[in-house]
Amino acid sequence: MSWILEAEAQLGRSLTVKRWRWPSGLALITAIDRGAPVVSYQTWFRVGSRHEQVGRTGMAHLFEHLMFNQTETLPPGEFDRVVERTGGESNAATWVDWTYYRLSLPARDLELGVKLEAERMTRLVLDEGPVESERDVVTNERRERVEDDVDGWLDEQLMALAFEVHPYRWPTIGWMADIRALPLDDIRAFYRTWYAPNNATLVVVGDLDEAALLDLVATHYGAIAPAALPDDRAIDEPVQTVERRIRGGKPIASDRVLAGWKAPGQADPDWPVLELIATLLAGSPSARLHRRLVIEKELASSVDSQLTPFRDPSLLRVAVTMARGHRAEVALAEIDAVIADLAEQPPAAAELDKAKNLVETDFWAALVDADGKAEALGHHESALGDFRTLTTLAARLAAVTADDVSRVVRAYLRNDRRSIVIAEPDGEGDDGDDAGDDEDAA
Amino acid sequence: MRLVFEPSGDAPLVWFEVCALGGAARDPAGVEGLTRHAAMLARRGTATHDRAALDETLDGLGAALDVAVGRDTITLSGLCLTRNLDAVVALAAEVLAAPRFADDEHQRLSRETPLILDEIRDDDSSLASRWFDREVAPGHPYARTAVGTEASLARIDRDTAHQTWRGLFVPRNVIVGIAGDVDDAGAHALATRLTERLPDLDPPAPITGDAWVASPGRRTVLVDKAERTQAQLRIGHLGPRYGDPDTAAVLVLETAFGGMFSSRLMQEIRVKRGWSYGAGCALRRSRRAHWFEMWMATAIGVAADALALTHELYVDLAARGLTAEELDFARSYLVGSMPFHLATARQRMQLAVRDAAFDLPIGYTATLPAQLGALDIDAVRAAATRHLRPEDAVTVAVTTARDTRDALAKVGEVEVVAFDAY
Repeated sequence: MSWILEAEAQLGRSLTVKRWRWPSGLALITAIDRGAPVVSYQTWFRVGSRHEQVGRTGMAHLFEHLMFNQTETLPPGEFDRVVERTGGESNAATWVDWTYYRLSLPARDLELGVKLEAERMTRLVLDEGPVESERDVVTNERRERVEDDVDGWLDEQLMALAFEVHPYRWPTIGWMADIRALPLDDIRAFYRTWYAPNNATLVVVGDLDEAALLDLVATHYGAIAPAALPDDRAIDEPVQTVERRIRGGKPIASDRVLAGWKAPGQADPDWPVLELIATLLAGSPSARLHRRLVIEKELASSVDSQLTPFRDPSLLRVAVTMARGHRAEVALAEIDAVIADLAEQPPAAAELDKAKNLVETDFWAALVDADGKAEALGHHESALGDFRTLTTLAARLAAVTADDVSRVVRAYLRNDRRSIVIAEPDGEGDDGDDAGDDEDAA
Repeated sequence: MRLVFEPSGDAPLVWFEVCALGGAARDPAGVEGLTRHAAMLARRGTATHDRAALDETLDGLGAALDVAVGRDTITLSGLCLTRNLDAVVALAAEVLAAPRFADDEHQRLSRETPLILDEIRDDDSSLASRWFDREVAPGHPYARTAVGTEASLARIDRDTAHQTWRGLFVPRNVIVGIAGDVDDAGAHALATRLTERLPDLDPPAPITGDAWVASPGRRTVLVDKAERTQAQLRIGHLGPRYGDPDTAAVLVLETAFGGMFSSRLMQEIRVKRGWSYGAGCALRRSRRAHWFEMWMATAIGVAADALALTHELYVDLAARGLTAEELDFARSYLVGSMPFHLATARQRMQLAVRDAAFDLPIGYTATLPAQLGALDIDAVRAAATRHLRPEDAVTVAVTTARDTRDALAKVGEVEVVAFDAY
């Protein structure tokens, strides 16, 4: 058996990115970056919260914790100890479409990383004691990030409101009741199902010898058999036809608004247009919403916009923190007016160029170190199926026209396709349509 | 003017910083927030560009130009595409030397900053840090809030803010850092352009003395906020200055106790008991002596147990120091992790600017591995005895008093304060 070189592309001035494939289906993306004597070794599994079942939410994220415990050859705690003894760090992240594990290692310790990751891909030990301990940790993580955090609550409520069918409707960390009840047998089955070489991409960026890396990976992963993966097609969400809106009381000083408009998946040709629209709305101090809400009318203390980079259609979101004494509805009226302007009148060339320059700066700044490069490559490969969607992004952004902006605003930023969650200071709410904030709500 | 330069042609980007000594710790008592107000206002227009024009021009260039106020420094930092560097530096130089300090923007900022206080109070972690800074060593300049209070903000006037900015950004009081896609000659030319119009005034007198006395005695301040399911905990006391001769020893203590996943706090609080998602500690790096601080966020029902256990672990650390194995492990981690702190040109530049602002020798960070290598277990134990003071550790807990007060009172004296009282 041997590696097949499947794809090759340039990223920036000096980075050559290659994708290799092993007969088991394991993909390996390599990029040599000798800027520092370090390597970023990331393992991306194409499993996220979208692959969970109702009543079993939080399963993918729980593995982000469990994967650092015992394996067949490593006793509990040893994984972190051997990494930290080198000066390296390990971490992980889970989102809707993927889970990834990151080792940042001194370049001389690359082989250690290969051995560790190959070991835990299929030889994790899932016993009751460590699982219960991590379950407690995750419930505390959820309390910190959702129950006691108004922004976490808004985020969770918005996704649950905007999606009726798609698994994007439940939080990646899981509902509290589900986290507490995930059965050990289901946890083990989830691991056997999704943690397999043909569902993984290794992304290795840094000061490395490519031929030696290929040999190492072949040696340590080569015999791992592929798994029979479940069907993983796109999931259709019914078209939204009416605005959805909920509100809830929180111990906060002023109203907060999180609004989301249905937007296409990241691979859609309109996605770069929407990224520029998000920047035009609230991506900089001179952006339209920031200028109007924060500076000119002093209705809000902050406004942000974000286009969520998901595989399936997701949301373009706008978040507003109101100034004391101003209600959320006032901001929503201003947002409506700004969007109407953008729909009717394409932005001037200078304003569009401004958005393109801002996005370009952010693009390069995210790729400044080995971890950032590996993360960007891993996301595009895992969520969109090909890392080259990253290397071609700059050209796609450059091709966007002012007419594209107005066309896409009209197509997507429609009130009948938006969902709105409002958090308001305790005691000011309308009891009739409270979303409620019980920690077990699902 | 001192210049730190780190070239890198990896990406078409340039980062620059102009760092002036003199931050929030210099704010006069009762006028807390003055330096921050001056910094925010300076960014809102220049002699030739009002706020809207400045924002529009910088955004049009795809650039970021931000001001940040720390305890010791005030920094104007920029990020831009290489092709737009000249234009961005011209605007940055104008912000530094000829800020507009318009009255309408002063009035607007005076209305905006209380909203920042609202956002801090809405966020439990930020709220815990704000109260901890106030309570851990009352009277210490670092105990002053950088943002201010409603009362102190009302005392800030535009002319004083303008004088504050003008007094800090003088050639002999600034460090310039440049990193990225520019050559050596270009970097020197940029540094000159950034600073050549600054007023040639004497630099402000530095704050001197490290002999501030921490509030003695262990105590807990319970910051009462409704509907909490957790307690955000901050525990600590005044520690040594970063750069003190014991710094290497304190670094290994910090690392072994709460600086890694394998550290004692993480293992005892998270791994063995599942009480908190995170648990750690750090010596705050500043120009003068600052806090040694521990943190965690536990479920309400175990907050008192977690606090008691943390005290117990900390008393043991202060009395016994580390084991030989722990010293070896922490040292290995710290030395091995050094390349990650120096991996990019931007990181190297920022670290060098920080070291210069802390009045540390040039290349101080690079000397740490040798200092760590020279440590033995007795030196670490002696440093623990000198600098770790569990008997004076102050705890701030942001949580709901009704649910936690009685349990926390079993661990020590508890004072309850309203979350929005400060």
